[in-house]
Amino acid sequence: MITITLTTGSLLILLGLYALLTRDNLLRIIIGFSLANTGVHLIIVSFGYLKNRTAPILNDTMIAAGPETQIVDPLPQALVLTAIVIGFAITAFLLVFALRLYHTYGTLSLSKLVEKS
Amino acid sequence: MTQPILFIALPLLATFFTGLTGKRYGKFQSAVMNLALAGTVLISAYYVSAFVSGTRQPYTASTAGSLPPFSIAFRMALPEALTLLLINGLGLLGLSALKTTFRQKGTLSAVTYLLYFMALNGIVLTRDLFNYFVFIEISSVALAGMVLFKESGRCLKAGFSWMMATGVISIFLILSAILIYVRTGALDIDNILLTDPLVLYSGSAGAFFLFLALIFELKPFPANGWALDVYENASPAVSAVFSGAGITAGLFALYKFLPIVGDRWLFPLIIIGLVTFLFSNILALKQHIVNRMLGYSSVGQAGLIAAVFGMGVLSKEDMFFIAASLMAVHALAKGGLFWLSHHTGYTSVYEWAGIRHKPLFIFLLGFYIFALLGFPPFPSFFAKWSLISALAAGPYGWMMAAILLGSLLEAAWMIRWFGFAVKGNEQTANEIQKTPPVYTLVPALLLLGLILLLNRSRFAFILTNAWIPLLFITGFFLLDFLPARVKNTFMIGGLGLYFYFLYPTLTEFRLIFAIIFLLGGMILLLAGYHYKGRRIGFYPSSALMYSGLVGLLTAGTTVEFFFWWELMTLGSYFLILRGKKSLPHALSYFLFSMGGAYTMLSGFGLLAAANQGSLALETLSSGGPFQAVIFILLALGFLTKTATVPLHIWLPGAHSEAESDVSPVVSAVLLKAGVFGLILLMAGMGPQSLGRVNLYTALGWLGAITALIGNLSAIFEEDAKRLLAYSSIGQLGYVLFALAMMNHLGWLTATVFALNHFLIKALLFLAIGGVVMRVKTRNMYEMGGLIKKMPLSFISVMIGIIALSGVPPLTGFAGKWLSYNATVLSGWYFQGVIINFAGLVTFLYCFRLIFTIFLGQLKDQHRQVKEAPFWMMVPQIILMGVILFISTVPNVALKPVGTFLTRYFPEHALVWDGPMARSLYGYWNGYMIMLVTGVVFAAVFFWLFFINRKAVKIKQFNIVFAGERPSRPELTHFAYNFFAPYQKALGFLVAPVSTDFWNRLSEGTHAIAGFIARLFSGNGQSYVIHQILFAVLVFFLVLGGI
Repeated sequence: MITITLTTGSLLILLGLYALLTRDNLLRIIIGFSLANTGVHLIIVSFGYLKNRTAPILNDTMIAAGPETQIVDPLPQALVLTAIVIGFAITAFLLVFALRLYHTYGTLSLSKLVEKS
Repeated sequence: MTQPILFIALPLLATFFTGLTGKRYGKFQSAVMNLALAGTVLISAYYVSAFVSGTRQPYTASTAGSLPPFSIAFRMALPEALTLLLINGLGLLGLSALKTTFRQKGTLSAVTYLLYFMALNGIVLTRDLFNYFVFIEISSVALAGMVLFKESGRCLKAGFSWMMATGVISIFLILSAILIYVRTGALDIDNILLTDPLVLYSGSAGAFFLFLALIFELKPFPANGWALDVYENASPAVSAVFSGAGITAGLFALYKFLPIVGDRWLFPLIIIGLVTFLFSNILALKQHIVNRMLGYSSVGQAGLIAAVFGMGVLSKEDMFFIAASLMAVHALAKGGLFWLSHHTGYTSVYEWAGIRHKPLFIFLLGFYIFALLGFPPFPSFFAKWSLISALAAGPYGWMMAAILLGSLLEAAWMIRWFGFAVKGNEQTANEIQKTPPVYTLVPALLLLGLILLLNRSRFAFILTNAWIPLLFITGFFLLDFLPARVKNTFMIGGLGLYFYFLYPTLTEFRLIFAIIFLLGGMILLLAGYHYKGRRIGFYPSSALMYSGLVGLLTAGTTVEFFFWWELMTLGSYFLILRGKKSLPHALSYFLFSMGGAYTMLSGFGLLAAANQGSLALETLSSGGPFQAVIFILLALGFLTKTATVPLHIWLPGAHSEAESDVSPVVSAVLLKAGVFGLILLMAGMGPQSLGRVNLYTALGWLGAITALIGNLSAIFEEDAKRLLAYSSIGQLGYVLFALAMMNHLGWLTATVFALNHFLIKALLFLAIGGVVMRVKTRNMYEMGGLIKKMPLSFISVMIGIIALSGVPPLTGFAGKWLSYNATVLSGWYFQGVIINFAGLVTFLYCFRLIFTIFLGQLKDQHRQVKEAPFWMMVPQIILMGVILFISTVPNVALKPVGTFLTRYFPEHALVWDGPMARSLYGYWNGYMIMLVTGVVFAAVFFWLFFINRKAVKIKQFNIVFAGERPSRPELTHFAYNFFAPYQKALGFLVAPVSTDFWNRLSEGTHAIAGFIARLFSGNGQSYVIHQILFAVLVFFLVLGGI
């Protein structure tokens, strides 16, 4: 299980970076960035996973049963939430840049943007 | 009771609060923002004072009442408090610089600004790796937002590249956080470090990613194009905080997290840092956009400081001092420079000529530039000194070389910029006010405060010893509004008083040079009475130079010597820069001086290392195993100052383009600083050889060649002042030659030549300067027949050339007689032949000087010319008096010199019998010679006077052409190309080989810069590729065992 998510995460990062480096369209670059971010999130979650355990949401039965044997490591879960929020903000910000670049130059092609001074 | 969380809470509260009040950025919003940042400044100031006084102990505060990793730990200690003070202080200043921007853009822009500072505070305080990632992201986004304060497409593109690049960094960072967490079960530094080092450091990908992220935050070369685009395109007020505050926070994070990364990454860190420092400055050379240049400088300085963190050779105390000094000076000076750029709105260096009539702006620009370059008395000077000394103690020559070379290149482009600002002639559309705004002034005041803080460092003794001259210099800066004549009187009085006080403490060579520097300076300053108005800048510069010169004599330690040496260079550079066309020449003077100063610095560093860190000048006698290297390095520094071939090419331009009363000073007085250095070095270190080469024989040859080339170049010169300048090169060649003989007569010769050179060059430069002032040209073929118009100047020049060429009866003859004796004594026959030949050449240019200027036909346009100004003549008359006096009774001056020289060289001293001196090979009686020559001269004079009555007087234009058809106007003048036959025969000897070499070196460096600069295309994708290639490179280098 962990191996699958770790591999998927790594592949997503590589895929995202590849898109980031090779695509000419700003939106595709941003999608690449999002993909890479998702891969990172997957990796974080999978590192915190412990076999046969459940989500770290405490309720009465859980507390009674002793949470330290029942739940996965809660810290990566907390981290990934933060990371997702930040990733969201950055993606939104990148999109705003893309929009304004489009309004200014009338193109979303990175190579054309570079040529125009 | 304050809490570190306030550093986050205050800006956050302010942003939420003002965000609620609407879009308008009015007085109220401005007040809230200012209060928030002022609050953080006050709290950090409180912490600093509490930690320094010991009322509080460093502590770690956890949020949310639980312990890490379930809470975030903030650490508060002195380093944190100091860094926060610096960052928030800059933030507060920057707020006022951006006031108009905020008004136009609305409150949200100010919110972005404040959030940036909140994030920087967090970066400094947090101990938590993941939390660091969060704050890094906030700062990146906030910065990208601030780039848009200026509305242009370029800003958008720069911002987009920035976001792409920082996005990749954030991936590295977050991966490192989770990998380190998996390995250690902790996220905060303190708990991570509790882990078994074997587990923590063994092949951890987490450490590698963290290292990369930390490094990328500092924008390493060449993976830094995205940051440079931001520096260039963002509003300079944004770049100011990005560079000043952002880099400071990034460096602090590096310092903090470095222990987690582990020792094996220290060496790569040094390499990356130094490569960044070196190449950033190479690239800056090619730029003319000021903001981009400053950007290169910022990443360069960050690289240097990062490298310092990696240097395990430094003691903890040293590292703290060096890094803190460099960081603080960089933050304040860079902030100041960017804000100046913001206020003026000038983009290219040429445009900066707009401040050339605004002394306060020039002062500020110079202040920040020289603080950045590490000039005394700024803390960066002492940081550089400590750094080089520490490196000299180990096998780190290449690090020293990289640091010094990078610094030299940095000086090159910064001084070029400064030169354009002071002397440029570009017309700028953007007219600015006379008074600089507060935010450009405060950093300068804070830098002054930092200088005072040095009193708590181990260099406090320097400031204690130097406070009188430093006060003297400061006084002239403050009193610069007074009329020139008043300041001139102050200056003469000050030098006189200082000599009076120093006199009892001076002995031997120090006394001789004090006479040249101080009394000589006073005589030459008399010419300054000629100038009316205020002469802004002249007196502070002179004060710097004279203080520097005297400081060389009073210095008891190598660091003090270097301190004053640098100030002297600085003052003389400002003086030379005052000439009308001296811009390129002042730059070349400065660069050669800096190069020399840096070799000197390395020499002193090695010396201190050989003496267990002792800085006393007496340690020159114990250089240890590297003494020959130390000797060469120090000698190179001094030989640059004395303009020895091939380090001489700066001199002709610098000396001839200077103002009429500056040329005599820089030639007659300033060159002697190099001579004093050589004497100190040779007396201190004694005979030296490198392998089988006797270094003194080499120096002797160098002196002889310099004498020949200097003199030969002089005879082919059309320009009277350049002629004198080349003649100085030749004369100092004699001095070097004589010193290198290392015997009694040789050193006596050198002393006589040095004194003689002072007297005659002062006299000749003043006389020729006076002529140039009147006839408005320096070309000798445009003069002629001035004897009747300027008889006093004629007499001056005549006395001068008699003494210069070494014919009886004047002082030059004494030097020549002694030099023959000394040459025979040393057995240096071959070199002696060259020296004698050079002496013959002297006659040629001396003759040309008097003949073509004062004799022959008077030019039509010079019929109304008057004698040189009164105040230019006064010092000349004094100097002539001194020359005649010493020539008549040479024993008065030479006998005491001989007496103390016996302490160094007891053998072969002269035997004095009244005015008569006896050597092994003969005798010389100055008094008799004067008498005989006087009688002969009088006899001939009266004979001519007698027969002159029979001469037929003809009109000036009663001549015929003799067949030649002149194609250019100057060809009609006999003085043009005066020594053409000699040039055909000997011209190859003065082919500009050295000049060509230095020019090629300069062009080559620029070409490299141009080639590398193509990397930075403005394309965000290529920047990310640079990052990834950089990461791969570092990975393989470390894998490869570096």
